[in-house]
Amino acid sequence: MEFAGFPYLSTILLSCVVGLLVILFIPRERESLVKWVSLVFSGIALALSIYVYCAYDRAHGGLQFVEKLQWVEPVGIHYFNGADGFNLPLILLTGIVHFTGVLTMWELRERVKEFFAFAFVLVLGVFGFFMSMDLFFLFVWYDVSLFPMYPLIAIWGTTRKEYGALKLFLYLLAGSALVLPGIVYLSVASGLHTFDIVALMQPGALTPGQQKFAFLLFYLGFGILAGVWPFHTWSPVGHVAAPTSVSMIHAGVLMKVGAFGILRVGIFLCPLGWEYWAPVMAILATIGIIYGVFVGLTQTDLKYVVAYSSVSHMGIVGLGLSTVTAEGLNGAVFQMFAHGIMTALLFSSLGYIYDKTHTKLIPDLGGMSKVMPVASGYFIVAALAGMGVPGFASFWAEVTVFISAFRVYPALGALAICALVLSALYMLRVVQRVFYGQRNERYAHLRDVSLGLGLPRMILVATMLLFGLFPRLMLDLVQTAAIPFMGGLPR
Amino acid sequence: MKWWILGPEIYFLVVAVVFLTLSMTRHNGRRDFSAALFLAGLGVALTLATVRLEVSMVYGAYRVDLFSQVFKGMLSMGFFLVVSLCSNLNGIREGRHSEFYLLLTTCTLGMMLLVSSQELLTMYVALELASYSLYALVPMRSGAGQQMEAGIKYFLIGIATSALMLFGMASLFAATQTTLISELSLKLPGLLNTPMAFIGLLLTLCGFFFKLALFPFHVWAPSVYQGAANQVTAFVATATKVIAMAMLARLVSTTDGNTSLARVLIALAIISMTYGNLVALVQKDFKRLLAYSAIAHAGYALIGILSMNPTGYAAVVFYAVAYLAMTFTCFLVVVRVSADGRDLSIVQLAGLHRRSPLLAMTLMVGVFSLGGIPPTIGFTGKFLVFTAAMQKGYFLLVLIAMINVVVSLYYYIQVVRATFLLEPEEELPPINLSAPTTILAALMIVVIVAGGIFPRYLFQLAGATVQALP
Repeated sequence: MEFAGFPYLSTILLSCVVGLLVILFIPRERESLVKWVSLVFSGIALALSIYVYCAYDRAHGGLQFVEKLQWVEPVGIHYFNGADGFNLPLILLTGIVHFTGVLTMWELRERVKEFFAFAFVLVLGVFGFFMSMDLFFLFVWYDVSLFPMYPLIAIWGTTRKEYGALKLFLYLLAGSALVLPGIVYLSVASGLHTFDIVALMQPGALTPGQQKFAFLLFYLGFGILAGVWPFHTWSPVGHVAAPTSVSMIHAGVLMKVGAFGILRVGIFLCPLGWEYWAPVMAILATIGIIYGVFVGLTQTDLKYVVAYSSVSHMGIVGLGLSTVTAEGLNGAVFQMFAHGIMTALLFSSLGYIYDKTHTKLIPDLGGMSKVMPVASGYFIVAALAGMGVPGFASFWAEVTVFISAFRVYPALGALAICALVLSALYMLRVVQRVFYGQRNERYAHLRDVSLGLGLPRMILVATMLLFGLFPRLMLDLVQTAAIPFMGGLPR
Repeated sequence: MKWWILGPEIYFLVVAVVFLTLSMTRHNGRRDFSAALFLAGLGVALTLATVRLEVSMVYGAYRVDLFSQVFKGMLSMGFFLVVSLCSNLNGIREGRHSEFYLLLTTCTLGMMLLVSSQELLTMYVALELASYSLYALVPMRSGAGQQMEAGIKYFLIGIATSALMLFGMASLFAATQTTLISELSLKLPGLLNTPMAFIGLLLTLCGFFFKLALFPFHVWAPSVYQGAANQVTAFVATATKVIAMAMLARLVSTTDGNTSLARVLIALAIISMTYGNLVALVQKDFKRLLAYSAIAHAGYALIGILSMNPTGYAAVVFYAVAYLAMTFTCFLVVVRVSADGRDLSIVQLAGLHRRSPLLAMTLMVGVFSLGGIPPTIGFTGKFLVFTAAMQKGYFLLVLIAMINVVVSLYYYIQVVRATFLLEPEEELPPINLSAPTTILAALMIVVIVAGGIFPRYLFQLAGATVQALP
């Protein structure tokens, strides 16, 4: 057993578990109590994740806040959590998105207790996935985060919800069907009979051939969840069907689970396989970026536009990962964080408009900025961030990725940058049609977003600005992991 | 020889005699149930008390060891759980309740003798004692013709496989000149390249393939699951499956890792799980769906056995416990939802989340565990089985099994969908659960989740258990 001080990471998980249990024992009529309990426990998780983010010793680097104990010795399973420069931004992201997600769903009326209970299970899985350093637990958390998606979308969703929920569920579990044989293969093929990531990382544990094979499994398996083209088709359907806060968690956090899985399992354990498959990754990522932009241009449903923008932005993450450079990894992780916050804001502000107007079709809306200026403001800010306007976090992330991509793959990098210019076009098209232009009289009586409901959006905007104005808050942190990792690779 | 070494067997014999006597007195369902529940509970305690004993008797034909005692523990547990479902035994005419418990007891007794038998003929006799009890139990349900079809199918296929098994045992004897497992395990590895020994062993295994509902001996499963009374089905689906896994592990372990046998078993496992999962996709009746899912699970369990390494056998023991828990959980819901003892179609589960939130939750946990979603005991079981297969280098087999798991999730999710999403056509009354049932349902959820999160002790026990295998 090995504990470095107070187990902050486990306490984050515990706050989700306790929140879940408390909710389960509240009578279902006490809806506001359920919401307050959710808020308190998600707030505790957020506070702890901020603390861990700030308290991480950057000068020292490496794995900190380690919690490790034997779980099943004969098979080599450990309960092993740790924080490093790669997963800290994502733990913070999960904390922020869940907390704001609870606030966003404050007006929920239907089956409230079950909704917040499932949401806690989902977030528990995501937190666990990001902090786990043991392959077995990593996989367990991965599936824990997947299965609540089905009821969350199928019960509280909107457009074609059952189809969307089932498609998403089966696609993502198909991904896990590749990941599970992969992790068992690594444990057995290395001859170490352990699922400990740190132990499996030692050079020479796996032969180059084994790494190439296993990396492909992880890339495909986690790639489905990361929305890598051409495995992305579940994501727009699922996003559109999901209720607002689930879309936020889903696009904001769950897709990062996929990308982070490629990083933590694929890249960490099979670096030679990573180098070997990197060109393929780069090509698929670039196609994803361009494809997302062009499909987004023709959508009439607002949520579809945002969903395809996610495909495009996750392509940027993939491009960053495929460069095999420290800057690329740095940019990719920053982009995961920035995109998470930005998409959460997009879905959150869009959710308010949908709740009031009961439509998300672009032609039906129009002139919304005159009706609800504040709510529109949030969406426009998020859209600007999505275009990569300087001052927001995503600007720095994209710049970092594109610079390194341009160095390694000049042609693909150039293509991706062109596509991104076009992305400004589709975002502006949406903004212009929905928020400006002729006011639709049907919605003239609607009230603007109140201060309380605006709170989650404000938090998200503030986070984007904070990391946009002071990008070193994040870049320096990720570097403490990226540079030693790249330096340790066999060349 | 000390008599208390045979404690569980003697006890269940006494219980059988008690019910034989009760069946001759005036019929009283309430009294029979209370007696059965009490005796079954005592049986669990008694069996667990003998877990640590170890002795070999009757010239090595009968052996009490950790392996046999752990499975006897599971059996008595399964018996107790099934009896606890019998508080409303509406599927069976009240006049026959004592006989029902009598046959359930003799079946359990037969299977207890089976796991301890170390000699082929003893094994056969014990198996037949268990089988004949079931042949009588299956058609015992009151109602229209369906149960007779199930009974006849079960009986005919059962005696056909028994014949095959006897033939296989004869060939084994001819090839090795012994019927003792301990001697077989010495002679068999060298002889398995001869057709007579190989076919003999394979045919002997058939008897247990039948009990496990493994392809191609699965045809009885859908009819029997649907046709037999819910409680009988629960027993067939849990206890007999567990014993079949144990016996297959015991017999296969005598071969010392024969690759041609492994190849045959790989083929059977792949066909069984693929067939079971694909046919389950279109089922409308919940018990039929569970039957096809059982065929698929027979394939998963076989993966652990065909790995033929200690991890594999330990994984199978773990899987047996997991399977007992999760299948029973599903049947608990079936029995409670269809209080009148009728079959339950999947659409009839509609609105269960309002009629009884606890049962809906129980069903979701049970079904997700069958589907292998963590953190449930079903996932950990599959994980261990796959790890064992991977150690033998069967990568493709594991991949096929995982694809099967994804396919199976489609129909498991249909059950969850019916429970949580569909609204019934007419408003159904809430289901009121008695306090013991509430506790039992909550306990099953805890067991399934705890077994998934803390598999350590169970796995250590399983590892210690299989050291008794040759």
